[in-house]
Amino acid sequence: MQLKVDEMLCSGHSRCAKFAPAVFSLDEAGFNTAVGRVVDVPPGEEDNATKAMKACPERAISDAGQ
Amino acid sequence: MSGQGQVKIVDEHDPEVSPERLIERFGRDFFRDFDIDDPRLNEHFHEVIDLMVQKCPVAHSTVGTGYHVFSTEDAVRRIGQDWQTFSSAKGYIPNRPDDQPMMIPVEQDPPNHTSWRRVLNPHMSPQVMDSIREDVAREVNLLIDKFIDRGECEFISEMAGLLPGRAFFIYVLGVPVDDLPQLVHDVDKSLFGPLETRTAYHKKVYDYLEEFMRKRQQMPPQGDIVDTILKNVTYSDGQEAPWEHQVSVVLDLTYGGISTTIYALGSTARHLADHPEQRQQLLDHPEWIENSVEEFVRAYSPVVAMGRTCMRDVAVEGVQLKEGDYVMLGFSGAGRDPRTIANPKELNFAEPTIHHATFGVGPHRCIGSHLARMELAVFITEWLKRIPHFQVKPGTEPVYETGFMRAMSSLFLEWK
Repeated sequence: MQLKVDEMLCSGHSRCAKFAPAVFSLDEAGFNTAVGRVVDVPPGEEDNATKAMKACPERAISDAGQ
Repeated sequence: MSGQGQVKIVDEHDPEVSPERLIERFGRDFFRDFDIDDPRLNEHFHEVIDLMVQKCPVAHSTVGTGYHVFSTEDAVRRIGQDWQTFSSAKGYIPNRPDDQPMMIPVEQDPPNHTSWRRVLNPHMSPQVMDSIREDVAREVNLLIDKFIDRGECEFISEMAGLLPGRAFFIYVLGVPVDDLPQLVHDVDKSLFGPLETRTAYHKKVYDYLEEFMRKRQQMPPQGDIVDTILKNVTYSDGQEAPWEHQVSVVLDLTYGGISTTIYALGSTARHLADHPEQRQQLLDHPEWIENSVEEFVRAYSPVVAMGRTCMRDVAVEGVQLKEGDYVMLGFSGAGRDPRTIANPKELNFAEPTIHHATFGVGPHRCIGSHLARMELAVFITEWLKRIPHFQVKPGTEPVYETGFMRAMSSLFLEWK
Protein backbone atom coordinates (compact mmCIF):
# COMPACT_ATOMS: atom_id res chain seq x y z
CA MET A 1 0.00 0.00 0.00
CA GLN A 2 1.31 3.42 -0.96
CA LEU A 3 -0.14 6.78 0.07
CA LYS A 4 0.45 10.21 -1.37
CA VAL A 5 0.38 13.35 0.80
CA ASP A 6 -0.59 16.52 -1.03
CA GLU A 7 1.79 19.35 -0.24
CA MET A 8 -0.71 22.11 -1.08
CA LEU A 9 -3.53 20.64 0.97
CA CYS A 10 -1.78 19.63 4.24
CA SER A 11 -2.66 22.35 6.76
CA GLY A 12 -1.30 20.80 9.92
CA HIS A 13 -4.41 19.21 11.45
CA SER A 14 -2.10 16.32 12.50
CA ARG A 15 -4.89 13.72 12.56
CA CYS A 16 -2.81 11.40 10.34
CA ALA A 17 -0.05 10.94 12.92
CA LYS A 18 -2.69 10.35 15.60
CA PHE A 19 -4.20 7.41 13.72
CA ALA A 20 -1.06 6.03 12.08
CA PRO A 21 2.02 7.08 14.07
CA ALA A 22 4.05 4.25 12.50
CA VAL A 23 3.26 5.58 9.03
CA PHE A 24 3.24 9.37 9.40
CA SER A 25 5.27 11.72 11.52
CA LEU A 26 4.92 15.44 12.16
CA ASP A 27 7.38 18.26 11.71
CA GLU A 28 7.88 20.87 14.45
CA ALA A 29 4.83 22.81 13.21
CA GLY A 30 2.56 19.75 13.30
CA PHE A 31 2.50 19.17 9.53
CA ASN A 32 2.97 15.78 7.86
CA THR A 33 6.69 15.30 7.14
CA ALA A 34 5.89 13.36 3.95
CA VAL A 35 4.15 16.20 2.09
CA GLY A 36 4.78 16.03 -1.64
CA ARG A 37 5.97 12.42 -1.40
CA VAL A 38 4.64 8.88 -1.68
CA VAL A 39 4.80 6.85 1.54
CA ASP A 40 5.17 3.07 1.70
CA VAL A 41 2.82 1.74 4.36
CA PRO A 42 4.61 -0.95 6.43
CA PRO A 43 2.90 -4.39 6.41
CA GLY A 44 0.27 -4.60 9.15
CA GLU A 45 -0.26 -0.82 9.19
CA GLU A 46 -2.83 -0.77 6.38
CA ASP A 47 -5.83 -0.32 8.68
CA ASN A 48 -4.26 2.55 10.59
CA ALA A 49 -3.10 4.18 7.36
CA THR A 50 -6.61 3.94 5.92
CA LYS A 51 -8.04 5.55 9.06
CA ALA A 52 -5.49 8.35 8.78
CA MET A 53 -6.39 8.88 5.13
CA LYS A 54 -10.11 9.01 5.91
CA ALA A 55 -9.66 11.26 8.96
CA CYS A 56 -7.78 14.01 7.14
CA PRO A 57 -10.10 17.06 7.14
CA GLU A 58 -8.38 18.34 3.98
CA ARG A 59 -8.51 14.95 2.14
CA ALA A 60 -4.78 15.58 1.59
CA ILE A 61 -3.91 11.87 1.73
CA SER A 62 -4.79 9.64 -1.21
CA ASP A 63 -4.03 6.12 -2.41
CA ALA A 64 -0.99 6.39 -4.69
CA GLY A 65 -1.92 3.08 -6.32
CA GLN A 66 -5.13 4.48 -7.77
CA MET B 1 -26.52 36.47 -13.82
CA SER B 2 -25.71 38.10 -10.53
CA GLY B 3 -25.05 36.02 -7.45
CA GLN B 4 -27.50 38.12 -5.49
CA GLY B 5 -30.48 36.31 -4.11
CA GLN B 6 -29.82 32.79 -5.37
CA VAL B 7 -30.50 29.86 -3.09
CA LYS B 8 -30.08 26.14 -3.69
CA ILE B 9 -32.90 24.02 -2.34
CA VAL B 10 -32.67 20.25 -2.77
CA ASP B 11 -36.40 19.81 -3.46
CA GLU B 12 -38.43 22.93 -4.24
CA HIS B 13 -41.67 20.94 -3.87
CA ASP B 14 -40.84 19.80 -0.32
CA PRO B 15 -43.55 21.50 1.80
CA GLU B 16 -41.16 21.64 4.78
CA VAL B 17 -39.01 24.24 3.00
CA SER B 18 -41.72 26.58 1.73
CA PRO B 19 -41.33 30.18 2.95
CA GLU B 20 -44.70 29.93 4.74
CA ARG B 21 -43.74 26.77 6.60
CA LEU B 22 -40.31 28.15 7.60
CA ILE B 23 -41.87 31.41 8.84
CA GLU B 24 -44.51 29.46 10.74
CA ARG B 25 -41.87 27.26 12.37
CA PHE B 26 -39.00 29.69 12.99
CA GLY B 27 -40.54 33.14 12.53
CA ARG B 28 -38.29 33.71 9.53
CA ASP B 29 -37.46 32.10 6.19
CA PHE B 30 -33.84 31.37 7.09
CA PHE B 31 -33.21 29.81 3.65
CA ARG B 32 -34.08 32.74 1.39
CA ASP B 33 -33.72 35.47 4.03
CA PHE B 34 -30.93 34.33 6.36
CA ASP B 35 -29.64 36.53 9.18
CA ILE B 36 -26.88 35.22 11.40
CA ASP B 37 -27.71 37.83 14.08
CA ASP B 38 -31.49 37.15 14.25
CA PRO B 39 -32.35 36.06 17.82
CA ARG B 40 -34.69 33.45 16.31
CA LEU B 41 -31.66 31.65 14.90
CA ASN B 42 -30.31 31.45 18.44
CA GLU B 43 -33.65 30.13 19.66
CA HIS B 44 -34.00 27.39 17.00
CA PHE B 45 -30.31 26.94 16.33
CA HIS B 46 -29.84 23.21 15.64
CA GLU B 47 -33.27 22.87 14.01
CA VAL B 48 -32.38 25.59 11.48
CA ILE B 49 -28.78 24.44 10.93
CA ASP B 50 -29.78 20.78 10.48
CA LEU B 51 -32.62 21.58 8.11
CA MET B 52 -30.38 23.95 6.16
CA VAL B 53 -27.55 21.48 5.61
CA GLN B 54 -30.02 18.77 4.59
CA LYS B 55 -32.38 20.77 2.42
CA CYS B 56 -30.82 24.13 1.56
CA PRO B 57 -27.07 23.74 0.94
CA VAL B 58 -26.85 27.37 -0.25
CA ALA B 59 -28.88 29.98 1.64
CA HIS B 60 -28.95 33.72 1.05
CA SER B 61 -29.05 36.77 3.27
CA THR B 62 -30.08 40.27 2.24
CA VAL B 63 -28.59 41.87 5.35
CA GLY B 64 -26.29 44.78 4.41
CA THR B 65 -24.55 44.03 1.15
CA GLY B 66 -25.92 40.46 1.26
CA TYR B 67 -24.15 37.09 1.41
CA HIS B 68 -24.55 33.40 0.64
CA VAL B 69 -24.16 30.67 3.25
CA PHE B 70 -22.68 27.31 2.21
CA SER B 71 -23.42 24.47 4.62
CA THR B 72 -22.23 21.16 3.15
CA GLU B 73 -18.92 19.77 4.33
CA ASP B 74 -17.78 19.45 0.71
CA ALA B 75 -18.49 23.07 -0.27
CA VAL B 76 -17.04 24.45 2.97
CA ARG B 77 -13.85 22.47 2.40
CA ARG B 78 -13.48 23.49 -1.24
CA ILE B 79 -14.08 27.17 -0.52
CA GLY B 80 -11.74 27.13 2.49
CA GLN B 81 -8.94 25.50 0.52
CA ASP B 82 -9.26 27.79 -2.53
CA TRP B 83 -7.81 30.95 -1.01
CA GLN B 84 -6.92 32.37 -4.44
CA THR B 85 -10.63 32.56 -5.36
CA PHE B 86 -12.06 33.16 -1.88
CA SER B 87 -10.07 35.85 -0.10
CA SER B 88 -9.94 36.48 3.64
CA ALA B 89 -8.32 39.89 3.20
CA LYS B 90 -11.60 41.82 3.09
CA GLY B 91 -12.79 40.49 6.43
CA TYR B 92 -14.14 37.30 7.97
CA ILE B 93 -17.55 38.65 8.98
CA PRO B 94 -20.12 40.11 6.58
CA ASN B 95 -20.84 43.84 6.63
CA ARG B 96 -17.69 44.41 8.64
CA PRO B 97 -17.58 47.77 10.51
CA ASP B 98 -15.09 50.06 8.73
CA ASP B 99 -13.65 51.38 11.99
CA GLN B 100 -12.50 47.94 13.19
CA PRO B 101 -8.81 47.22 12.49
CA MET B 102 -8.05 44.15 10.36
CA MET B 103 -7.19 41.04 12.34
CA ILE B 104 -3.85 39.52 11.41
CA PRO B 105 -3.28 36.87 10.11
CA VAL B 106 -6.91 35.67 9.92
CA GLU B 107 -7.79 38.55 7.58
CA GLN B 108 -4.82 38.04 5.27
CA ASP B 109 -4.15 35.75 2.31
CA PRO B 110 -0.94 33.93 1.41
CA PRO B 111 1.89 34.81 1.03
CA ASN B 112 1.77 37.34 3.91
CA HIS B 113 -0.54 35.05 5.88
CA THR B 114 1.98 32.24 5.35
CA SER B 115 4.82 34.42 6.67
CA TRP B 116 3.03 34.60 10.01
CA ARG B 117 1.76 31.04 10.17
CA ARG B 118 5.19 29.60 9.39
CA VAL B 119 6.68 31.18 12.54
CA LEU B 120 3.57 30.85 14.77
CA ASN B 121 2.62 27.22 14.05
CA PRO B 122 5.59 25.65 15.89
CA HIS B 123 4.44 27.37 19.12
CA MET B 124 0.94 25.85 18.79
CA SER B 125 1.84 22.33 17.62
CA PRO B 126 0.43 19.12 19.14
CA GLN B 127 3.86 18.41 20.62
CA VAL B 128 3.96 21.77 22.46
CA MET B 129 0.39 21.30 23.73
CA ASP B 130 1.27 17.86 25.08
CA SER B 131 4.01 19.51 27.13
CA ILE B 132 1.51 21.70 29.05
CA ARG B 133 -1.10 18.96 29.51
CA GLU B 134 -0.22 18.46 33.20
CA ASP B 135 -0.42 22.20 33.87
CA VAL B 136 -3.90 22.37 32.36
CA ALA B 137 -5.00 19.31 34.38
CA ARG B 138 -3.88 21.12 37.54
CA GLU B 139 -5.86 24.22 36.53
CA VAL B 140 -9.00 22.11 35.98
CA ASN B 141 -8.65 20.56 39.41
CA LEU B 142 -8.03 23.91 41.13
CA LEU B 143 -11.26 25.21 39.63
CA ILE B 144 -13.20 22.07 40.63
CA ASP B 145 -11.85 22.39 44.21
CA LYS B 146 -13.71 25.67 44.58
CA PHE B 147 -17.20 24.28 44.02
CA ILE B 148 -17.23 20.48 44.29
CA ASP B 149 -18.39 20.42 47.93
CA ARG B 150 -21.28 22.73 47.10
CA GLY B 151 -22.81 20.02 44.89
CA GLU B 152 -23.51 22.54 42.15
CA CYS B 153 -21.92 25.21 40.01
CA GLU B 154 -22.66 27.72 37.31
CA PHE B 155 -20.42 26.05 34.79
CA ILE B 156 -19.70 29.01 32.49
CA SER B 157 -18.59 31.51 35.14
CA GLU B 158 -16.88 28.93 37.37
CA MET B 159 -15.20 26.64 34.83
CA ALA B 160 -15.62 27.20 31.09
CA GLY B 161 -15.19 30.97 31.26
CA LEU B 162 -11.98 30.63 33.28
CA LEU B 163 -10.09 27.61 31.99
CA PRO B 164 -9.35 28.72 28.39
CA GLY B 165 -8.19 32.15 29.55
CA ARG B 166 -5.93 30.63 32.19
CA ALA B 167 -4.54 27.96 29.85
CA PHE B 168 -3.87 30.36 27.00
CA PHE B 169 -2.78 33.48 28.85
CA ILE B 170 -0.66 31.79 31.53
CA TYR B 171 0.94 28.94 29.58
CA VAL B 172 1.00 30.26 26.00
CA LEU B 173 1.07 34.07 26.11
CA GLY B 174 2.38 34.69 29.62
CA VAL B 175 -0.06 37.51 30.52
CA PRO B 176 -0.03 38.45 34.26
CA VAL B 177 -2.67 36.35 36.05
CA ASP B 178 -4.07 39.40 37.91
CA ASP B 179 -5.09 40.98 34.60
CA LEU B 180 -7.12 37.96 33.45
CA PRO B 181 -10.62 38.66 34.85
CA GLN B 182 -10.77 42.14 33.27
CA LEU B 183 -9.32 40.92 29.97
CA VAL B 184 -11.71 37.98 29.72
CA HIS B 185 -14.64 40.31 30.56
CA ASP B 186 -13.65 42.84 27.89
CA VAL B 187 -13.23 40.17 25.21
CA ASP B 188 -16.69 38.84 26.07
CA LYS B 189 -18.27 42.32 25.83
CA SER B 190 -16.59 43.01 22.49
CA LEU B 191 -18.13 39.84 21.04
CA PHE B 192 -21.49 39.46 22.75
CA GLY B 193 -22.19 42.77 24.47
CA PRO B 194 -24.60 45.42 23.13
CA LEU B 195 -23.74 46.23 19.48
CA GLU B 196 -23.07 49.91 20.19
CA THR B 197 -20.32 49.18 22.73
CA ARG B 198 -18.58 46.29 20.95
CA THR B 199 -16.11 48.50 19.06
CA ALA B 200 -15.13 50.30 22.28
CA TYR B 201 -14.43 46.99 24.06
CA HIS B 202 -12.52 45.72 21.04
CA LYS B 203 -10.33 48.81 21.29
CA LYS B 204 -9.85 48.28 25.02
CA VAL B 205 -8.59 44.74 24.46
CA TYR B 206 -6.30 46.00 21.68
CA ASP B 207 -4.87 48.72 23.95
CA TYR B 208 -4.23 46.25 26.78
CA LEU B 209 -2.41 43.82 24.50
CA GLU B 210 -0.37 46.58 22.87
CA GLU B 211 0.78 47.72 26.30
CA PHE B 212 1.60 44.10 27.18
CA MET B 213 3.71 43.81 24.00
CA ARG B 214 5.57 47.07 24.78
CA LYS B 215 6.43 45.77 28.24
CA ARG B 216 7.66 42.50 26.76
CA GLN B 217 9.90 44.44 24.35
CA GLN B 218 11.77 45.81 27.36
CA MET B 219 12.22 42.36 28.94
CA PRO B 220 14.83 39.69 28.13
CA PRO B 221 13.64 37.18 25.48
CA GLN B 222 11.92 34.03 26.79
CA GLY B 223 11.86 32.07 23.54
CA ASP B 224 8.06 31.99 23.51
CA ILE B 225 5.41 32.95 20.95
CA VAL B 226 5.49 36.61 22.06
CA ASP B 227 9.21 36.81 21.26
CA THR B 228 8.50 35.29 17.85
CA ILE B 229 5.87 37.96 17.18
CA LEU B 230 8.18 40.73 18.45
CA LYS B 231 10.96 39.42 16.19
CA ASN B 232 8.50 40.10 13.35
CA VAL B 233 8.16 38.75 9.79
CA THR B 234 8.91 40.12 6.34
CA TYR B 235 6.04 40.53 3.87
CA SER B 236 6.17 39.77 0.14
CA ASP B 237 7.02 43.41 -0.67
CA GLY B 238 10.24 43.07 1.33
CA GLN B 239 8.94 45.26 4.17
CA GLU B 240 8.65 44.19 7.78
CA ALA B 241 5.11 43.83 9.11
CA PRO B 242 4.00 47.07 10.81
CA TRP B 243 3.71 47.24 14.61
CA GLU B 244 -0.13 47.28 14.39
CA HIS B 245 0.01 43.89 12.68
CA GLN B 246 2.25 42.48 15.41
CA VAL B 247 -0.23 43.59 18.06
CA SER B 248 -3.08 42.28 15.94
CA VAL B 249 -1.53 38.81 15.86
CA VAL B 250 -1.72 38.71 19.65
CA LEU B 251 -5.30 40.00 19.47
CA ASP B 252 -6.22 37.32 16.94
CA LEU B 253 -4.73 34.55 19.09
CA THR B 254 -6.60 35.96 22.08
CA TYR B 255 -10.00 35.95 20.38
CA GLY B 256 -9.38 32.47 19.07
CA GLY B 257 -8.09 31.29 22.44
CA ILE B 258 -10.96 32.26 24.68
CA SER B 259 -14.55 32.47 23.41
CA THR B 260 -14.47 29.42 21.16
CA THR B 261 -13.17 27.13 23.87
CA ILE B 262 -15.67 28.45 26.42
CA TYR B 263 -18.48 27.29 24.16
CA ALA B 264 -16.79 23.97 23.38
CA LEU B 265 -16.43 23.25 27.12
CA GLY B 266 -19.98 24.39 27.87
CA SER B 267 -21.61 22.30 25.18
CA THR B 268 -19.50 19.28 26.11
CA ALA B 269 -20.54 19.56 29.77
CA ARG B 270 -24.18 20.02 28.82
CA HIS B 271 -24.14 17.02 26.50
CA LEU B 272 -22.58 14.82 29.18
CA ALA B 273 -25.08 16.12 31.76
CA ASP B 274 -28.02 15.30 29.46
CA HIS B 275 -26.71 11.88 28.30
CA PRO B 276 -25.87 9.64 31.28
CA GLU B 277 -25.38 6.65 28.97
CA GLN B 278 -22.70 8.47 26.99
CA ARG B 279 -21.07 9.65 30.21
CA GLN B 280 -20.92 6.02 31.26
CA GLN B 281 -19.24 5.11 27.96
CA LEU B 282 -16.40 7.52 28.72
CA LEU B 283 -16.17 6.30 32.32
CA ASP B 284 -15.91 2.72 31.02
CA HIS B 285 -13.65 3.62 28.11
CA PRO B 286 -11.36 6.51 29.03
CA GLU B 287 -9.42 5.66 25.86
CA TRP B 288 -12.39 7.06 23.91
CA ILE B 289 -12.11 10.50 25.50
CA GLU B 290 -9.71 11.87 22.90
CA ASN B 291 -12.02 10.70 20.14
CA SER B 292 -15.08 12.07 21.91
CA VAL B 293 -13.54 15.54 21.63
CA GLU B 294 -13.84 15.30 17.83
CA GLU B 295 -17.51 14.44 18.21
CA PHE B 296 -18.21 17.30 20.63
CA VAL B 297 -16.59 19.89 18.38
CA ARG B 298 -18.19 18.37 15.27
CA ALA B 299 -21.72 18.50 16.65
CA TYR B 300 -21.29 21.79 18.54
CA SER B 301 -19.07 24.03 16.47
CA PRO B 302 -18.19 27.26 18.31
CA VAL B 303 -17.82 29.13 15.03
CA VAL B 304 -21.15 29.14 13.21
CA ALA B 305 -19.69 30.56 10.01
CA MET B 306 -16.80 32.63 8.71
CA GLY B 307 -16.66 34.55 5.46
CA ARG B 308 -14.64 35.07 2.31
CA THR B 309 -14.86 37.51 -0.61
CA CYS B 310 -14.99 36.18 -4.19
CA MET B 311 -12.02 37.42 -6.22
CA ARG B 312 -13.56 36.37 -9.55
CA ASP B 313 -16.83 35.07 -10.95
CA VAL B 314 -17.18 31.45 -9.84
CA ALA B 315 -19.89 28.79 -9.53
CA VAL B 316 -20.20 26.78 -6.30
CA GLU B 317 -22.90 24.14 -5.72
CA GLY B 318 -24.53 25.37 -8.94
CA VAL B 319 -24.85 28.94 -7.65
CA GLN B 320 -23.12 31.53 -9.84
CA LEU B 321 -21.22 34.04 -7.73
CA LYS B 322 -19.73 37.29 -8.98
CA GLU B 323 -16.43 38.96 -8.15
CA GLY B 324 -16.91 40.89 -4.91
CA ASP B 325 -19.73 38.67 -3.62
CA TYR B 326 -19.47 37.65 0.04
CA VAL B 327 -19.81 33.98 1.02
CA MET B 328 -19.96 32.33 4.43
CA LEU B 329 -18.53 28.91 5.27
CA GLY B 330 -21.08 27.29 7.56
CA PHE B 331 -18.92 25.29 9.95
CA SER B 332 -21.87 24.39 12.19
CA GLY B 333 -23.71 22.80 9.28
CA ALA B 334 -20.62 21.13 7.82
CA GLY B 335 -20.16 19.11 11.02
CA ARG B 336 -23.77 17.91 10.87
CA ASP B 337 -23.85 17.05 7.16
CA PRO B 338 -25.62 13.72 6.53
CA ARG B 339 -23.62 13.40 3.30
CA THR B 340 -20.43 12.79 5.30
CA ILE B 341 -21.68 11.67 8.75
CA ALA B 342 -24.05 8.70 8.99
CA ASN B 343 -26.11 9.98 11.94
CA PRO B 344 -25.00 13.57 12.38
CA LYS B 345 -27.34 14.39 15.27
CA GLU B 346 -25.97 11.48 17.33
CA LEU B 347 -22.52 11.56 18.95
CA ASN B 348 -20.57 8.35 18.38
CA PHE B 349 -17.42 8.18 20.51
CA ALA B 350 -16.31 4.84 19.03
CA GLU B 351 -16.28 6.14 15.46
CA PRO B 352 -12.66 6.88 14.58
CA THR B 353 -12.87 8.90 11.38
CA ILE B 354 -14.91 11.96 12.06
CA HIS B 355 -15.32 14.65 9.46
CA HIS B 356 -15.99 18.19 10.49
CA ALA B 357 -14.83 21.66 9.55
CA THR B 358 -14.98 23.06 13.07
CA PHE B 359 -11.30 23.97 13.04
CA GLY B 360 -11.60 25.29 9.51
CA VAL B 361 -9.99 23.93 6.35
CA GLY B 362 -7.25 25.30 4.14
CA PRO B 363 -4.44 27.65 5.16
CA HIS B 364 -6.58 29.33 7.86
CA ARG B 365 -6.98 26.08 9.83
CA CYS B 366 -7.46 27.08 13.48
CA ILE B 367 -3.99 27.62 14.92
CA GLY B 368 -5.31 26.83 18.40
CA SER B 369 -6.91 23.54 17.37
CA HIS B 370 -4.30 21.43 19.17
CA LEU B 371 -4.61 23.53 22.32
CA ALA B 372 -8.41 23.24 22.20
CA ARG B 373 -8.32 19.46 21.69
CA MET B 374 -5.92 19.02 24.59
CA GLU B 375 -7.93 21.31 26.89
CA LEU B 376 -11.17 19.49 26.14
CA ALA B 377 -9.66 16.02 26.61
CA VAL B 378 -8.01 17.07 29.88
CA PHE B 379 -11.21 18.70 31.10
CA ILE B 380 -13.34 15.60 30.39
CA THR B 381 -10.76 13.30 32.00
CA GLU B 382 -10.32 15.31 35.20
CA TRP B 383 -14.00 16.25 35.59
CA LEU B 384 -15.26 12.68 35.22
CA LYS B 385 -12.71 11.45 37.77
CA ARG B 386 -14.19 13.76 40.40
CA ILE B 387 -17.76 14.37 39.23
CA PRO B 388 -18.74 11.25 37.30
CA HIS B 389 -22.49 11.89 37.55
CA PHE B 390 -24.17 15.26 37.20
CA GLN B 391 -27.15 16.90 35.59
CA VAL B 392 -28.50 20.25 34.48
CA LYS B 393 -30.00 21.78 37.63
CA PRO B 394 -33.78 21.28 37.53
CA GLY B 395 -35.67 24.51 37.00
CA THR B 396 -32.78 26.07 35.05
CA GLU B 397 -32.29 26.30 31.32
CA PRO B 398 -28.87 26.82 29.68
CA VAL B 399 -28.65 30.22 27.95
CA TYR B 400 -27.17 30.57 24.48
CA GLU B 401 -26.19 33.48 22.26
CA THR B 402 -25.56 33.32 18.53
CA GLY B 403 -23.82 35.54 15.98
CA PHE B 404 -21.03 34.34 13.72
CA MET B 405 -19.97 32.59 16.91
CA ARG B 406 -22.11 30.39 19.10
CA ALA B 407 -21.83 31.04 22.82
CA MET B 408 -23.30 29.80 26.09
CA SER B 409 -23.71 32.35 28.85
CA SER B 410 -25.01 30.15 31.66
CA LEU B 411 -25.24 26.47 32.52
CA PHE B 412 -26.22 25.38 36.04
CA LEU B 413 -25.06 21.86 36.93
CA GLU B 414 -25.63 19.81 40.08
CA TRP B 415 -24.42 16.51 41.52
CA LYS B 416 -24.76 14.42 44.66
